[in-house]
Amino acid sequence: MKEKWNFILYLVWFSYLTLSAVLMFGQGFLLSRKTLNDVSECVPLNNFGCDGRQNSSEKSTCTEDIKIQRILANSGSPSVCASKSHRVVFVLVDALRYDFTELKHDNEQPLYYQNRLPIIQKTIERWPDRARIFRFMADPPTTTLQRLKALMTGSLPTFVDASSNFAAIEIQEDNVIDQIVKGGRKAILLGDDTWMRLIPGRWLRSHALYSFHTWDLDTVDNEVDSKIYDELMRNDWDLLVAHYLGVDHAGHRYGPNHPEMARKLSETNARLEKIIEMLPSDAILYVVGDHGMTETDSQEWKDLDGDHGGESKDELTAALFAYHSLGFSGDASDRQSGKEIKQTDLAPTLSAALGRPPPAPSLGNLLFPILPKMPMTHTLLHLTNNLKQMTQYLVRYGEESQQISLDRLAHLINSTRDQIDKAANVRTEEELKVYIFNVRSLMDNIRGVFREVWVEFDSLSMLRALLLLLLIVFFNWIIIEGIPIERIPHVFASSFVPTGLISMAVCIGICYTGHYLEIIEDLGHAIILSTGLISGTITCILVIMHWDGITQKWYEGQTQFYERFARSALFASAIILVSNSYIIEEGATLSFLSLTILGLMAWNIGNMKSLVLWVAFGTVMALTRSYRGCREEQGDCWTSGGDVATGNASRAALVIALGSVAAIVAVSRRHIGWRGYGIAIAGIFSCAHWAVGWGSLGSPSRSKMLARGAWLVIVTMFILVWKRDGRGATLPLVVSGLLFYLSNTLVLGAAFAPTAGLALISGFLALNIVSMLKSEGSVKFSLTTRCNSSMACLWALLASYHFYGTGHHATLSNVRWAAVFHAGDPNHTAFGTPISVALMFIYLFGMPLMFGATVPLLALWGRNGASTLGPRTQLTAVFSLCLKFALCFTIRVFACALSATIHCRHLMIWGVFTPKLIFEVGSCTAAFIGTLIGAILTAWHLPNQTRSS
Amino acid sequence: MFSLNNHLELRRVTISSLVTCIYLPSIVTVISYKGLLYSVGNASSLYILVLIFVAELMKSFYLNSNNDLHIKKKASKSRAGDIVKSFVFLLGVMFSFFVGIILFGAPVLEYHEETLMLSCLLTLLTVFPLIAHTGMELAIQLLFGVKNFSRDTIIAMLVNNALLTVCGAWLGAVVIPLDWNTPWQQWPIPCYLGAIGGYLLSNVLTVTKVTLMSAANKYPVLNIVVNMINRLHISK
Repeated sequence: MKEKWNFILYLVWFSYLTLSAVLMFGQGFLLSRKTLNDVSECVPLNNFGCDGRQNSSEKSTCTEDIKIQRILANSGSPSVCASKSHRVVFVLVDALRYDFTELKHDNEQPLYYQNRLPIIQKTIERWPDRARIFRFMADPPTTTLQRLKALMTGSLPTFVDASSNFAAIEIQEDNVIDQIVKGGRKAILLGDDTWMRLIPGRWLRSHALYSFHTWDLDTVDNEVDSKIYDELMRNDWDLLVAHYLGVDHAGHRYGPNHPEMARKLSETNARLEKIIEMLPSDAILYVVGDHGMTETDSQEWKDLDGDHGGESKDELTAALFAYHSLGFSGDASDRQSGKEIKQTDLAPTLSAALGRPPPAPSLGNLLFPILPKMPMTHTLLHLTNNLKQMTQYLVRYGEESQQISLDRLAHLINSTRDQIDKAANVRTEEELKVYIFNVRSLMDNIRGVFREVWVEFDSLSMLRALLLLLLIVFFNWIIIEGIPIERIPHVFASSFVPTGLISMAVCIGICYTGHYLEIIEDLGHAIILSTGLISGTITCILVIMHWDGITQKWYEGQTQFYERFARSALFASAIILVSNSYIIEEGATLSFLSLTILGLMAWNIGNMKSLVLWVAFGTVMALTRSYRGCREEQGDCWTSGGDVATGNASRAALVIALGSVAAIVAVSRRHIGWRGYGIAIAGIFSCAHWAVGWGSLGSPSRSKMLARGAWLVIVTMFILVWKRDGRGATLPLVVSGLLFYLSNTLVLGAAFAPTAGLALISGFLALNIVSMLKSEGSVKFSLTTRCNSSMACLWALLASYHFYGTGHHATLSNVRWAAVFHAGDPNHTAFGTPISVALMFIYLFGMPLMFGATVPLLALWGRNGASTLGPRTQLTAVFSLCLKFALCFTIRVFACALSATIHCRHLMIWGVFTPKLIFEVGSCTAAFIGTLIGAILTAWHLPNQTRSS
Repeated sequence: MFSLNNHLELRRVTISSLVTCIYLPSIVTVISYKGLLYSVGNASSLYILVLIFVAELMKSFYLNSNNDLHIKKKASKSRAGDIVKSFVFLLGVMFSFFVGIILFGAPVLEYHEETLMLSCLLTLLTVFPLIAHTGMELAIQLLFGVKNFSRDTIIAMLVNNALLTVCGAWLGAVVIPLDWNTPWQQWPIPCYLGAIGGYLLSNVLTVTKVTLMSAANKYPVLNIVVNMINRLHISK
């Protein structure tokens, strides 16, 4: 049989095409930013000698000004800690939009949010040099978490802040709080507990409250009020952070134009009045909104009011109010109200006010209009600190990441160094002004460069990838649905697959040559694009060659209702990935759809047995419901504590886990001959692993040993499965399914192990229903019935469902990493990383893997299965099912990628759509691998026979 | 499916469908004007079910009237026993609907009242008219596919109604996961209204088709439309 390995090669080819297109999409779509662990350092002024050098031997004394002048002249010197520092009261009023702070006396009928903060304008009118109000422009995404990160680090947070541990929420970079702690100063936190999660353990005193009850307008504010005035009286702090949530929550619940908003704003007004009154004379007050909120519009959807997260003007424009009783620097042009400043500028400014250099990743400017008056030399010192930090960051980012081309980076580094050199020549106020202006425009330039790579998608490669995916789906769909199944062995016995592979190899060769000759810049994209296009062309030619068969089949084709329904159900399950609410509830949707498909099949069979099987299947699906995960957006079921870890399974859970494994092993081992012993031993090992490791009496080390034993048996059995015994492929396939089941139970841990058993049972029941389907005509086995797309769709939906059924959810924060360590820490072994990756992969996507490996059973299972027929027919049936199954997953991935493209500016893109895309790609990969294993097993175990049956 | 041969049956089918097209929308309109539309899941909305029950019973009396009298005479002996049996059977059907709905994803441990109301409605709209029309034994035979019904216009209509009702309830579930936070997304309101909608749609289709079929006698062009509607019917 010539086509035997051509089938497998075609499956590999197909998987390559899909995954390469997805990879290309990911490169254009997943914006990433490298997180650096650098921390800004500064040297106290005292450590400098009068010649401007550190630890100088010169012992003469000189004034501070001269010393700074000398330091400035020495452009290689490190950052210098400012000698004068202030205390800062940082009041964050969540969602304080700029126009809330305006005061218009001629406004006869102010809206609920207008003219509610008169204290700000009054203060400015009374003491023009003591107070400032600016527009404080945020960068998208305007969610509080991302904004706090941006305010504290001065950087632009993206979705993937690639760092050593991206599951943790804690800020991994240098930030203002770290800087002041490093400088020996003290910080105090009052309010939102997001701060505690972002920056834990740095506070002298903290009073943080849970902030997720968006309908609670007052609790957090009242708690903060009860503490803040006492804290203002004390002397032991340098930075006081107070985070008020009431305005934000009022916006979320009622929208800005509502009496509740008026109440919250008036409360804020009273609060600010009191704080300004009590403010110690050496302290600076910053009142800041981290983002705005959308406008109320009676014509719009009602629940869109007062939200934030996107990048409309209303959401981006927050307010910054600064007050210092000794007066700020800057002249009339600086103090002009309503000037636009960037939120990234706050971090360096705050650091400067506290006498520290800017945090290492900061991309901001110093805002002198809201810094206290200082002599010119100090201004210059701060400016050069800022420039030095920026140079350092540019150099380090260039070392760690290739996102920005080196020429561009070198140019930027040179211009910052030029500016540092120029600092020493600034003598007069006018020169200083020009210098500040130059530095500002340079920094804006640098910020723009980074913004471009961090915040903008590469739409070209995204669109190309989508096009490639569409090509793959379209032509393969026509091939597998159109070409009559009798013709398929002939098609694949011909030179079709070798031609395709050779032409792909030629493409890759041409790309490499082009790259070598420096015609092609981006090698990876070129290869993916050219191979994708050439494969599209070749499949297209195949379709054209067999057009007569295809048209004939479609003309004659009479499909059953359940088959049409199954297809539309799969398409529906893909299309609804465009809606965030369906993604959140996807588990329920998938179980609903697969139950309906199976119900229609049972209806088609129409006997009591199928009904009973269907009810049993439904019960199994209902049982998995209690294990289904829960995500934050679902509301009620979500608790901040997270799920139970593996070792802490309750007694009942342990008993259920042991019982389920024991039952499945005991029942199944009788039917699979000598292989049953291996399954039994592996089952006993895994049961012992849980039992020994359970509770406080357990022995973790022995339990880990047992888990390793179980893995050893599983791997051995998996090798033994390849032993030919000439009795067809059904038995080895069942055994591989059981092995995948056992490995799933191991990685899922005792608490979730029963779900793997339930998944296995649901698959088994579905197989039995499928094998009862009536076939047309008198033939016992009908290829058109047993290999039609409804089987593949049903199987794909089940595989996708059991991702949710085993307690996972498509969010990054739901991933539990314990699965890697259940058999000891693999990082101590030689192959640490591959082992942990494989364990994690099985843990997350074990279900698509298991279902993928058992796809051939859909054709082979049962008394009227294909296993009684000739090997050629069997192989064709298995191949067409495998390709259909893989195609189902490709369609789902395509839908995910499409929805991510459509929603790339959506509020929930990083919370819902992108994780879904990532997890769907993972499931797709697992399904491909599983399908390949299943197909190869089948091909391997079929007797070689040249004549077709 | 329908034939023009039996004019009496066809007229009965049309009139009963017309009645449905009038009484069901009126019930829905009245309860929505009263502001009770969102309470259809509660037990307090039992009166809707009672109304539908009465209406369906009247319809079935109408459909059965002047039916072969000798059968009726034979049946009237054990009429009371028959009614009790049918009632028990209906309860069984309702329970299986209840279980089925839960299997499809309704909450297991809570909202039993709502699920029960929905399964009540489904039973009333699907199996009850069949039983009332044909009697219990025949209905059971029909349900389990022992007997073929393709020749009987009225039964064909009733089965079609039943199928579209279930489809409507199934489709109603589509809106539940959406995050619009509207009061009508509460379980089981969309499925409840979907079932009513499916039933209504089926009746509207019947009326339309019969009208078109009689019109097609005069204007043969309309046959195309009739064929299109025929395709919409799921029943075999």
